[in-house]
Amino acid sequence: MRIHLRKLMAIIEVKGKAIFSKNFIIMPIFALGFTYLIKKVYGSINDIDMSGYTLSLGVLMNVCMTGIYLVAATLAEEKEKNTLRTLMTSSVNGLEFFLGSLIPILLLMMIVNVLCVLISGFQMTNFENWCIFLLVTTCASIISAIIGMIFGIFAKNQMSAGTMTTPALLIFMMIPMFKALNEILSKISNFMFTGIIMNVIDNISKHSTAIDIQNIIILIVEIVLSIILFLILYKKNGYEID
Amino acid sequence: MKKEYIYLKHISKKFNESYVLRDVNATLYEGEILGFLGPSGAGKTTTIKILTGQLEQTSGEANVLGIPCHNIDESIYEQIGIVTDQSGVYERMSIYDNLKYFAKILGVKYSYIDELLKKVGLYEHKKKLAGKLSKGQKQRLILARAILHNPKVLFLDEPTSGLDPTTALEIHKLLLELKENGMSIFLTTHNMEEATKLCDHVALLNEGVIVEYGTPKDICLRYNKERKYKILLENKEEILLIHNDKNIMMLNQWLLNNQVVSIHSCEPTLETVFLEVTGRELQ
Repeated sequence: MRIHLRKLMAIIEVKGKAIFSKNFIIMPIFALGFTYLIKKVYGSINDIDMSGYTLSLGVLMNVCMTGIYLVAATLAEEKEKNTLRTLMTSSVNGLEFFLGSLIPILLLMMIVNVLCVLISGFQMTNFENWCIFLLVTTCASIISAIIGMIFGIFAKNQMSAGTMTTPALLIFMMIPMFKALNEILSKISNFMFTGIIMNVIDNISKHSTAIDIQNIIILIVEIVLSIILFLILYKKNGYEID
Repeated sequence: MKKEYIYLKHISKKFNESYVLRDVNATLYEGEILGFLGPSGAGKTTTIKILTGQLEQTSGEANVLGIPCHNIDESIYEQIGIVTDQSGVYERMSIYDNLKYFAKILGVKYSYIDELLKKVGLYEHKKKLAGKLSKGQKQRLILARAILHNPKVLFLDEPTSGLDPTTALEIHKLLLELKENGMSIFLTTHNMEEATKLCDHVALLNEGVIVEYGTPKDICLRYNKERKYKILLENKEEILLIHNDKNIMMLNQWLLNNQVVSIHSCEPTLETVFLEVTGRELQ
């Protein structure tokens, strides 16, 4: 499958505009607002630095809600409005549509992740930590966006996209959030891309080694697995199940 | 000799255990309009889906622009245009921006968009959001998008279904213009007037089987067994005559006596042919 830059840029442009519609932009705004709210709430309770935890929650929310929900909902909208079929019968191939749909959302997620750092007041002590933060959150964003694409294959319209992604959002967000309360949740969280985000931010805030080899391997494996799962489903159904 | 742009040879399509198409044969030549005429569920849309690579036939050979349909990849869509009931528009974008998007994808110069909008009668509304368009305007936009890249073959699945007569007439006019300019059109419809007016050849499709194939005129004449005439006489009396010696004598007499106001031959229409062949109505 070849990629034509002209077609890819056209899709990126239109998808980029689409995610700024009020139905979709609410998700990243919600993540930013949530980060600000948590900062205000924890900041006024005691003197302990909670910026790391605040940042973790904001980034988790962004990665899950923007990544999974937004990707699934935008794909579902294309089906609902019959524009997906029109596009796919206008010489756009599956890979061009895939990249064109994911790139603007990934860029948006990366920007929001950085904004979450600024809003939470988290101190990135050096350039290396910034790089690790960006690398980990970008990898996690890629995984969540591909998961969103997988849900999008099954969702017939925006409402079903919302219904289908909600359990996944809860699982990917809640397990790392509540890992401190339960040993099993903590172990599961260590193998989830969302859990790794929390671990890395926690490590940076404690000035210890930000990321270890196990976390890197888990992220790589999850990226590969999500791509394989997507490809299997795409080969079988395309972007829509008739 | 005209080029064969599309051919279907012994095409059958089975869903589960039932056939939706059975041994379908048809050819679309360069610069012609081929109509598939039949009621809902006759297999018209399935035929278009097979020809555009969205569905694979169970058996037989289907070919578009020299490419077997089961081998179609996205590059074929640079040479064909498709309008179906599953064609959509970007509702949050203007008419112009919708076409600009597809112009970019299909490598068409933006300067052509205005010319095309004038052709389909949407130039005055080009800044209007697609979501605010009437059904007729939306259909014209979908049609404009389908012909934006000047395709060799245009597939139209019930293009005027649900449209008011004026808009339908405008679309008919546009389709004839496109044909004049050399575009080949594969049209499905259940509207026999539309098929008669537009098509060079029609296939009457019933429950997945072609029951008649040919030019609309030939098909109608083939079923004109009784050769009836409708006569209007001076005394306002309307008489239906069947062609035979006795009636011809009578008609001659009326003509000699200058009693005849008008004579119309009563060939069957595609609708009556369909009814005669299948026992079903088209609508």
